Amino acid sequence: MQFQKFLKELNFWNRKLHIHLGLFFLLFIWLFSVSGLLLNHGEWKISSFWDERKETEIVTPIHTSNRSDSSTLLKDMMSQLEIAGEISNVKMWADSLHFRVSKPGEVRTLKVNFITGVCTQKEMQYNLAGKIRTLHTFNGVDKNNPDMQANWLFTGVWRLSMDAIAIGLLLLCISSWIMWFKIRERYRWGWIVLIFGLGAAVYFVFILRML
Amino acid sequence: MKKYYPAIRMLHLYFGLFISPFVLIFSISVIIFNHPGFINRFNPAIALPDIKTKLDKIPYDTSDLQTAKAIIRKLNINGEIDFISKKDSSISFPVNKPGLRTHITVNTTNDSVLITQKNEGTLRSTTYLHSMPGPHNVSIRSNSAFLKIWRILADGFVYILLFLTASGVFLWYILNAERVIGMYALALGVLFFVGILLFIF
Repeated sequence: MQFQKFLKELNFWNRKLHIHLGLFFLLFIWLFSVSGLLLNHGEWKISSFWDERKETEIVTPIHTSNRSDSSTLLKDMMSQLEIAGEISNVKMWADSLHFRVSKPGEVRTLKVNFITGVCTQKEMQYNLAGKIRTLHTFNGVDKNNPDMQANWLFTGVWRLSMDAIAIGLLLLCISSWIMWFKIRERYRWGWIVLIFGLGAAVYFVFILRML
Repeated sequence: MKKYYPAIRMLHLYFGLFISPFVLIFSISVIIFNHPGFINRFNPAIALPDIKTKLDKIPYDTSDLQTAKAIIRKLNINGEIDFISKKDSSISFPVNKPGLRTHITVNTTNDSVLITQKNEGTLRSTTYLHSMPGPHNVSIRSNSAFLKIWRILADGFVYILLFLTASGVFLWYILNAERVIGMYALALGVLFFVGILLFIF
């Protein structure tokens, strides 16, 4: 009796979770669906962003008297230049510092010359398609240094959001199976459809590399 | 609108069930993409022993891709040729499958071949599938049968997912009991989405 009650409660909350989680993540799912299509279909006119990028070069005098470690220097430079974003590709020499600052749709390559006190910025701005595409992959992960954490707060927040969407989608899947299982007698084709999808997924993930 | 409810509910259910295993692939791979250091610690990729062999003759063909395909046929290896690097005395290219990366280097002066392989495991096979076909090396992409099929599945997955969201909104809207809380969930999601993007841009 108690188990029946538990099942009833589970079904009740499971259904609510499925509906409201789906609604909460609606815009995120649309964003990642559209950006996924743009990434896979570079030949579409709407996906074109590289040829339409805007490049500008900005030369700025910069105060570089206080030489310390690269991290402090970078923070100081970025605050002087009033820019923000994920820092990568840092290379430091005795007389210069090179680095890249990126946000979705915006990449700046900076070269600071300590001797002349000049910073040369090459800025690239992407169009809307470029911004959407880069949002899909913007997680601040450095393939050569996988343990490195994101160094810009919003890269971390975006990465966390991507994790949340992934977990949300997993929950949507599990809740959908529970809901269908309850009414499986009415939707008998469900078994075949699920096994067909599962079979295809298992083939690609597990079997293909053994063939 | 209510007359469409049973049909849309049925389609939502069946399409949802069909793509749910693919949703798992794409969702798990996001976690792997975002936390590679963590994954490397408990599921490291395993390098398999190198194989050195010799081709009786390099099967040069009409293009680099056709030559690479002829080479892997002779070596009895299959997979997606990722890119081809050609130098004065060598041709090298990766041949990938989900979870297994193979790199082939052919010395064109003496026809010797070095094959290196890395078993990346099940978790990383999901990241490979997630990133394929992708925006890179478009001119040679989908040169293997499995990726031709995966390309269709990946596109189909997105279109079905878009249908599921639209049909889901329809099904929710018809349900009076869930309308108010649903509005809050939707509004909160929109607020969260717009808020993050405003901060990023």
